[in-house]
Amino acid sequence: MAGSALRRLMAEYKQLTLNPPEGIIAGPVNEENFFEWEALITGPEGTCFEGGVFPAKLIFPPDYPLSPPKMQFTCEMFHPNIYSDGRVCISILHAPGDDPMGYESSAERWSPVQSVEKILLSVVSMLAEPNDESGANVDAAKMWRENREEFNRIAERLVRITLGIPT
Amino acid sequence: MGDEAKNSSTTTEDVPQLNQDELIMAQQRQIEKEISESIPLVGELESILLLEHEYSNDTVYQEKVRNLSLKYSSIRRTRPDGNCFFRAFSFAYIERLLDKKEEFKAFYQKAEKSKDVLVELGFQQFTVEDFYDTYLDVLKRVGDIENTEEAKAELYTLFNDQGYSDYMVVYLRLLTSGQLQKEKDFYSCFIEGHRTVEDFCHQEVEPMYKESDHIHIIAACAALGTGVRVIYMDRGTGKAVTEHDLPEGCIPSVHLLYRPGHYDILYPV
Repeated sequence: MAGSALRRLMAEYKQLTLNPPEGIIAGPVNEENFFEWEALITGPEGTCFEGGVFPAKLIFPPDYPLSPPKMQFTCEMFHPNIYSDGRVCISILHAPGDDPMGYESSAERWSPVQSVEKILLSVVSMLAEPNDESGANVDAAKMWRENREEFNRIAERLVRITLGIPT
Repeated sequence: MGDEAKNSSTTTEDVPQLNQDELIMAQQRQIEKEISESIPLVGELESILLLEHEYSNDTVYQEKVRNLSLKYSSIRRTRPDGNCFFRAFSFAYIERLLDKKEEFKAFYQKAEKSKDVLVELGFQQFTVEDFYDTYLDVLKRVGDIENTEEAKAELYTLFNDQGYSDYMVVYLRLLTSGQLQKEKDFYSCFIEGHRTVEDFCHQEVEPMYKESDHIHIIAACAALGTGVRVIYMDRGTGKAVTEHDLPEGCIPSVHLLYRPGHYDILYPV
C-alpha cells in the first residue's frame, strides 16, 4: 500500500511542479521521504494576511490517498481554523462523518480524488475567509467576530514575521 | 489509546477540550477498525444453513433463513467496513463474468475506456490513474487464467489483499460517481436535502467507508451495465424474505443479502 501512496505522491509532486497554483509552492522535504512535505503559502491579496509567506508541513499516512494527510503551519499563526500549535482544521482534511468540528454538510470532504493542490487551495480560501463557527482557536474566532481591527493588527504582525521584517 | 490521551492532555494544556474530542474519535475509530478487521475482506464460501446458527435464539430469523435456503445454497461474507456493497458487488460480478468468457471480454473492453469517461466528466487524470491501473490489472490477471476455478481463486486472493481490494472499491466508487454525474438530471430527484448530485458524490460516494443506499446501487449497476437482486432480511413480519431487483425488471447477475447496515454475497441453488 505504501507503494501506491508513493506513486501517487510522486504524481502529485510532478503535477504541482509543472502547473503550480498561484501563490503556492509545495514538495517533499527531501527526496528520501515523500511522506513529509513542506509548503509555502502566500497570504491572499486583499486580506489581512496579504504579502505573508507562511510555511507549513504536510504529513501523509501510508494509505494515502484513501486517508487524508495532516497539515500544520510551522510559523506563528493566529486564525479561527488553526490550532495554537499550527494544526489546520478544515473540512477537506477530514473524511465525511469523521469530524471534530461538525462542519456544514455541504463542506468539501476528503476522498481519494482530492489532492494536495485542492487542500492548499482550500487553505488559501480559509485564510481569506475564516469559518468562525468551527473554532479551532476560540480566541481567534471571537476576535475575528468582535474585534476585527485587533485581529487585522495581529495578522499584519504575523505577516511581517514571516518576511523577517521587524515588528 | 488511554496512555495517548493522558500524554496529550498534559502536554497541550491550552487546547485540552479540542484534543480530547479528536482523541475520543480516534479511539472510537480504532475500536471499529479492530472489530471490522477481525472479519476477512471477502470470506470463503459457506453453506447458507450456517446462518441458522447465528440466530439460534431467534425464531423469526431462523424461519427466514430456512426460506432463504430454498433459493440460495451459499453465502460469502464481506467485511462490515462501510465498503461492503462495493466490495461485494465488484467481487461477485467479476466472479460471475469469469464463467462467461465472452461477456468478460466485453466488460474488459468497456473498463479500458472508463478512465477517459471519468476524465471527460472532470476528474483529474492523476487522481484516478492509480485506481484505474489497479482495476485493469486485477481484471487482466484473473482474465488471463484459462482455468475458471484457478481464476476465481486468484480473484479471491486479490480481493483479500487490502491494497488491491481497497483500490477496486475506490474505482467502483468513482465509476458510480461518474454515472450519477453523467445522468444527474435523473438522479437529482432521489437525493435528499438540498445537495446537488456533485455534492452528494463528493460526500457520500467517493469517500471510502461511506455506506451505500439504493441510489448507489442503481448507479453502480448502470455503470457496470448489469443488475442485482437484493434480498432483505430484517425483523419485519412474514416468513419470507423480501426481494428487490435493481434496476427494476432486470435479470440480476449478482445476488446480495442485506441485513440492516450490511451486504453479503449470495449464491443461488
